[in-house]
Amino acid sequence: MKKIDHSQLKETLYYEQLPNGLEIYLLPKPGFQKTYATFTTKYGSIDNTFQREGEQKHQVPDGIAHFLEHKMFEQESGEDVFQQFARQGAAANAFTSFTRTAYLFSCTENTNENLVTLLDFVQAPYFTDQNVEKEKGIIGQEIKMYDDNPDWRSYFGLIEAFYQNHPVKIDIAGTVESISKITKETLYDCYHTFYHPSNMLLFIVGGIEAEKTLQLIRDNQSTKKFDPPAKINRFYPDESNAVAEPKKIMKLSVQTPKCLMGYKEKSSEVSRIGTERLKQELTTQICLDVMFSTSSDFYQSLYDDGIIDDTFGFDYSLEPGYGFTMFGGDTHQPEELIKRIQEEIPRRVSTGVTQEEFDRIQKKRIGASLRSLNSLEWIANQFTSYRFQETDLFDIIPTLEKLTLEDVNQRLKTHFQADQFAVSLVMPK
Amino acid sequence: MSFATFQTVSLGNIRLHLCPSDKFKTTTLSAFITNPLQAETVTKNALLPNVLVRGTNTYQTTVALRQKLNELYGAGSFGDVFKRGERQVIQFGMDLANETYLQNAPSLLEEGIQLFCEIILDPFVENNQFYTSFVEAEKKNLKQKIDSLQDDKIRYAAERCVQTMCEGEPYSLFNYGNANDIQAIDAKSLYSYYREVLEKAPIDLYCVGDVEVEEVTNLFAKYFDSKMQNAVREEVPFAAVSHKVDKVKMVVDRLDVNQGKLNMGCRTQISIRDEKYPALMMYNGILGGFAHSKLFMNVREKESLAYYCSSGIESHKGLLFIQSGIEEQNLDRAVDIIKQQLTAMRNGEISDQELEQTKATLSNQLREGQDRAFELIGFHFQSVLSGKPRSLEDLLQKINAITKEDVQEVAQLVELDTIYSLRGQEGEKQ
Repeated sequence: MKKIDHSQLKETLYYEQLPNGLEIYLLPKPGFQKTYATFTTKYGSIDNTFQREGEQKHQVPDGIAHFLEHKMFEQESGEDVFQQFARQGAAANAFTSFTRTAYLFSCTENTNENLVTLLDFVQAPYFTDQNVEKEKGIIGQEIKMYDDNPDWRSYFGLIEAFYQNHPVKIDIAGTVESISKITKETLYDCYHTFYHPSNMLLFIVGGIEAEKTLQLIRDNQSTKKFDPPAKINRFYPDESNAVAEPKKIMKLSVQTPKCLMGYKEKSSEVSRIGTERLKQELTTQICLDVMFSTSSDFYQSLYDDGIIDDTFGFDYSLEPGYGFTMFGGDTHQPEELIKRIQEEIPRRVSTGVTQEEFDRIQKKRIGASLRSLNSLEWIANQFTSYRFQETDLFDIIPTLEKLTLEDVNQRLKTHFQADQFAVSLVMPK
Repeated sequence: MSFATFQTVSLGNIRLHLCPSDKFKTTTLSAFITNPLQAETVTKNALLPNVLVRGTNTYQTTVALRQKLNELYGAGSFGDVFKRGERQVIQFGMDLANETYLQNAPSLLEEGIQLFCEIILDPFVENNQFYTSFVEAEKKNLKQKIDSLQDDKIRYAAERCVQTMCEGEPYSLFNYGNANDIQAIDAKSLYSYYREVLEKAPIDLYCVGDVEVEEVTNLFAKYFDSKMQNAVREEVPFAAVSHKVDKVKMVVDRLDVNQGKLNMGCRTQISIRDEKYPALMMYNGILGGFAHSKLFMNVREKESLAYYCSSGIESHKGLLFIQSGIEEQNLDRAVDIIKQQLTAMRNGEISDQELEQTKATLSNQLREGQDRAFELIGFHFQSVLSGKPRSLEDLLQKINAITKEDVQEVAQLVELDTIYSLRGQEGEKQ
């Protein structure tokens, strides 16, 4: 067991990799009632074409990673694993993103039992023709729920406007049509490839004792047999720098139009790992904050002119192979908003961020990162996401403290280039 | 493990509740201003916090105020409004970094508390009224927020169910007010209403973090205007919850949707003040509060009719709501299955496993709230509002002692009042 001290933050992290390849991180939080654990595979909706080294190449239906997540809760005993977590007083859940599938629980009692339940159910798939068919109705309703959600539709609309080929543009849940093709055999193919311990990470944070908890996991894992780890090859189509569609318009049943805009990263900007990746993310966020947060003159002028309301927000996503900024919200004057944005950004890129603005936003982001460390959920999920990109969550504050104005102004020039701009517009029918 | 406890100090007629705790890396401040929920003031109460967070006497533009917050290491700051029973509560919150964890940062506590008090008590005022352009911009923003409710079909259906079920009762009012009232509000009338609220409404202040009780008390005593501390404040009465249902209301709305929404409202006759409240919490948990509950198991897992089907309680008005998203052609079947579950509860068809699972998960949910500062504050304030403070230990003990018969007794009081459904346009095939 390796001990990693973060003395400024008063946090101590423990790490071990088991012989089967599983990476384990433990973060004891004295004084917390709760323990939160995530068991995550580096496998998400974009991994739809793959090959386990030495085996055949698979192309699987859209939405299968998410479907598999639903089906993991089924057990051979016939009992849904939620029942067992409930007996042990835990709240269990799972989620699928573009790049990860996570199984999780939180509890304030019976932590050891819940931990064993988590490891055991994720490592014992049980798919039958019947239970796979049953899930199609449930997920079909989940898809329809999102179809009626205009925020989700405008979010995906923008990703579709950015990407010509990359599977990030495909809805995580797939479509009613694509999931109809899923069978227990295709689920086992995906499971067999991506749920090997060497492709997974276990993170536990909260009221735990590191050594005792680790021993429990070692004992649990040593009784199970796994194939030798194999390299996973993932295949993604070529994606050029150009956006797929500069402006995508959808008509939905809404009262207020929704306008989301952003910039697609060029292919040269989506392959960094480690501290370089972190620096790219933090500097981009600072650029967005300087231009669009409530402390900017630009935001306030749009707000006071009634062009935006308090739904206006911004975000940055960066993963291996894709990345983009997004900003926007509800507006009754989408064309005016787009025009003002397209005037403001080039102006900003040419004048740059001032030292004073940089200092304030740097402080703001340091404080925000510290606040995030109050949340056990944020720590576990964000740590895992970062670790899969060889980035360390606990580097955020030290890296923010070291950033300079030049870093931010350089990033401003690189990211916000007119050719990379796209708009997603949801208009009333 | 022992639970966090609050110490309540009186600042004149204002209550200050403090909870020193070293597990958080920030210090959290909250203020609650409690008003009766009524048609004449509901929209003004919704508008007020939005105007107050726009600027203060010292920071007269929003940009200046937000920049000051950034300089305080991104102090999070918000103003909002929520309803509990027939009260509408204005809330302000602030979250300050604890400088122990930062390099070369000064103490942020005093400046934070000073600014927090200034946002609430000392707005930017011109000619004895709010700054007009703040009020006008916030009116537009509020109008858009109210209009956009219809764009979120899940929230819209929930709100429409409340509206029709509680027609004629103050609880039917939408928390963010009525769009038709906005036009008539101006900077002058809103300001005089604000002065009235500040001088009459009950105010509760909170602080959670790695702080000393005495220091925080002194800082609030210093910065929360002493005139405010001496004003006479009258408690807002608790709504009556007993309500007999003569006939189940059936309401259908039609909008252009892919998926139908089903919302069913019940009267429980029980509020948070009642001895039976812990049994009502258990009732809700067994019925639809969790993934092991009857609604999830029967509507989703057995019949594959829905992705979500759950229930929740409004503890200050004695209501229980069931919500689900259902394919339109299956709506009637879902209503039947849900009614069967209500009947099963009344007949005491509750297994030992359901009872034990619900005790375990409900207790867990309550204990988990201890690890989030705003939840810790929310739980305590709920108890203050109820007028019958109850500690978490006590509530957990009561839950643990609940029997099947206690739950059945509650089930026999619960009456279905309204079945609301949101469906696609007539004649349209989805």
